[in-house]
Amino acid sequence: MDPVSERIEQLTRRHFFSRTGIGLGAAALSSLIAAETRADSTAQGGLPTLPHFAPKAKRAIYLHMNGGPSQMDLFDYKPTMAEWFDKDLPDSIRKGQRLTTMTSGQSRFPVAPSKYKFQQHGQAGTWVSELLPHTAKMVDDLALIQTVWTEAINHDPAVTYICTGNQLPGRPSLGSWLSYGLGTMNRDLPAFVVMTASWSSKKDAQALYNRLWSAGPLPSKHQGVALRATGDPVLYLSNPAGVDHATRRRMLDTLNTLNQREFETISDPETQARIAQYEMAFRMQTSVPDLIDIKGEPKRVLDLYGPDVETPGTFARCCLLARRLAERDVRFIQIFHRGWDQHGNLTGDLPMQCKDVDQAGYALITDLKQRGLLEDTLVIWGGEFGRTIYCQGKLTKDNYGRDHHPRCFPTWMAGGGIKPGVVHGETDEFSYNVVKDPVHIHDMNATILHCLGIDHRRLSFKYQGLDVRLTGVEDHGPVKGILA
Amino acid sequence: MRDQALFASGLLVEKIGGPSVKPPQPSGLWEAVGYTSSNTAKFQADTGAEKVHRRSLYIFWKRTSPPPQMTITDAPSRESCTVRRERTNTPLQALLLMNEPQYVEASRALAQRALKQGGESVEGRLVYLFRLVTSRRPESNELAALSAGLRDLLEHYRKEVGAAKDLVAQGETKADPAIDPSELAAWSMIANAVLNLDEVVTKG
Repeated sequence: MDPVSERIEQLTRRHFFSRTGIGLGAAALSSLIAAETRADSTAQGGLPTLPHFAPKAKRAIYLHMNGGPSQMDLFDYKPTMAEWFDKDLPDSIRKGQRLTTMTSGQSRFPVAPSKYKFQQHGQAGTWVSELLPHTAKMVDDLALIQTVWTEAINHDPAVTYICTGNQLPGRPSLGSWLSYGLGTMNRDLPAFVVMTASWSSKKDAQALYNRLWSAGPLPSKHQGVALRATGDPVLYLSNPAGVDHATRRRMLDTLNTLNQREFETISDPETQARIAQYEMAFRMQTSVPDLIDIKGEPKRVLDLYGPDVETPGTFARCCLLARRLAERDVRFIQIFHRGWDQHGNLTGDLPMQCKDVDQAGYALITDLKQRGLLEDTLVIWGGEFGRTIYCQGKLTKDNYGRDHHPRCFPTWMAGGGIKPGVVHGETDEFSYNVVKDPVHIHDMNATILHCLGIDHRRLSFKYQGLDVRLTGVEDHGPVKGILA
Repeated sequence: MRDQALFASGLLVEKIGGPSVKPPQPSGLWEAVGYTSSNTAKFQADTGAEKVHRRSLYIFWKRTSPPPQMTITDAPSRESCTVRRERTNTPLQALLLMNEPQYVEASRALAQRALKQGGESVEGRLVYLFRLVTSRRPESNELAALSAGLRDLLEHYRKEVGAAKDLVAQGETKADPAIDPSELAAWSMIANAVLNLDEVVTKG
């Protein structure tokens, strides 16, 4: 953004006039107002220079598997590992790379081969584990990246990194960037909606943080709005007891009359924005209950998502709501599914986690496809890092644990802008290092922005003296191998 | 803004020092993100006006899920220095200021204060209420808008006495039983409107 207009944006008109006195002519004032309101009306609140090129996707749904799904038990088939059971991970593979303190003190790093059977599926012949039978059915719709990597090795920095492009807290999240850059396509709902799903593994799950969907230094209207499974679906959505819709309307009419009078006196466009936001709040009191009411969904659709869809807050319900949000042209929808941090008892917990998301993810893709929405909706599935081939804690043939592994992990994408039925990148036989086509987090984010018509190098915001970008300052770019 | 609403309505507890307090917040917020076994896994609100009506700086802060009354109005995350707060303006802020239970209670307390201390005339009471919040007298067209709104709301709540009772029964403090609930409910909605004025929620 132009620094001069940005400075003007930060300086309130009220402050300006309170310092200078109302000495400017009405003509100058009206031209100021015209300039400020024009951008809003044409680009639906986005930047006038965006999109940079024709977008393939208008919206995106991000299914975030929080904790670090185990790649060699799900997507990264390593058949030779069976011969390595309980043998030490060779130093030639580990190369002295750092470990977390949860296993760095172990005397041995014995290889734990995956217990699960793999098969090839689809035209693409993509290897998928038996834990994901539904995902296996749709591999020809997916671009599977085997080689996403990150520098972060623990959850907090890693998940902050994957959501905001920086390990340090405080940067805008991906959805906020999209809302800021592209604006909204629905006047009755927020542009960025977040859901935190329930999960089935028994182990304590890692914490999430509200800042993962925060707008950071961007204007807060771009922050993710949490859609909740209990109580008010959006915080404070319901009128208090004793106030019905018509009464709220009457109160708002009084409020608007007074605010409008203030605008006519001071001419601060922010006052009009305030009136507009109160009107949107009022519309949300209708649009949100309508969004979450799934009574009209036919049985075949509910069956597609599986029995969990009946329970509010499950991943399946969140996926169904994600489709309903996509239908309503919400720009970015993010579902956080916790519980993927299998340091121990992997074979006890991982199947339950997979059961939570497998059918629901398949249903979401299928449902979007049947409605013609997949062609301009980008769907992303992945965690914040992968897991180690070596065992954390006790190793048996039937059970094992795995520590965090940042050097390779799988992510799949599907829909608008994505080449279907491809597997991108290769890891070594231990699923430890990337041997072909590494995809850094920044490359992945650049790819997502590309699908939405954004050149990642040209979307920035002045903050702390820097032109901050989602994808950092190093040389990164979209992954051409998975683009349609 | 929360302190301002509590102060204008006469509810604010200005005691200095002491432990943090937990005013009510919607259920499930901590559980949605927090460590499942942490000592702040489950939120339990405090009770008693001397706790829940304390100044906002005494509100307990869980960093993974800070109090929504504060974050919706862009309180800094406290994870890094904040030199300047950004200008913000969101529908979530509108919902908070209209519907959050403490703002609803402050609206009722402000209405009650206007009815008891604002003299006998409707106009005098409206002026008093308006001045308590904005520190100025309403212009004549503002007063006309408030009067018209009040008239309609009074008509509504005189017909819907049950709804009026529901509205004025909310909060940690009790409404004055000597005041007619329909009248208090109508005035509460007017107070709610005044507390939501752009002029009131905007600094400078």
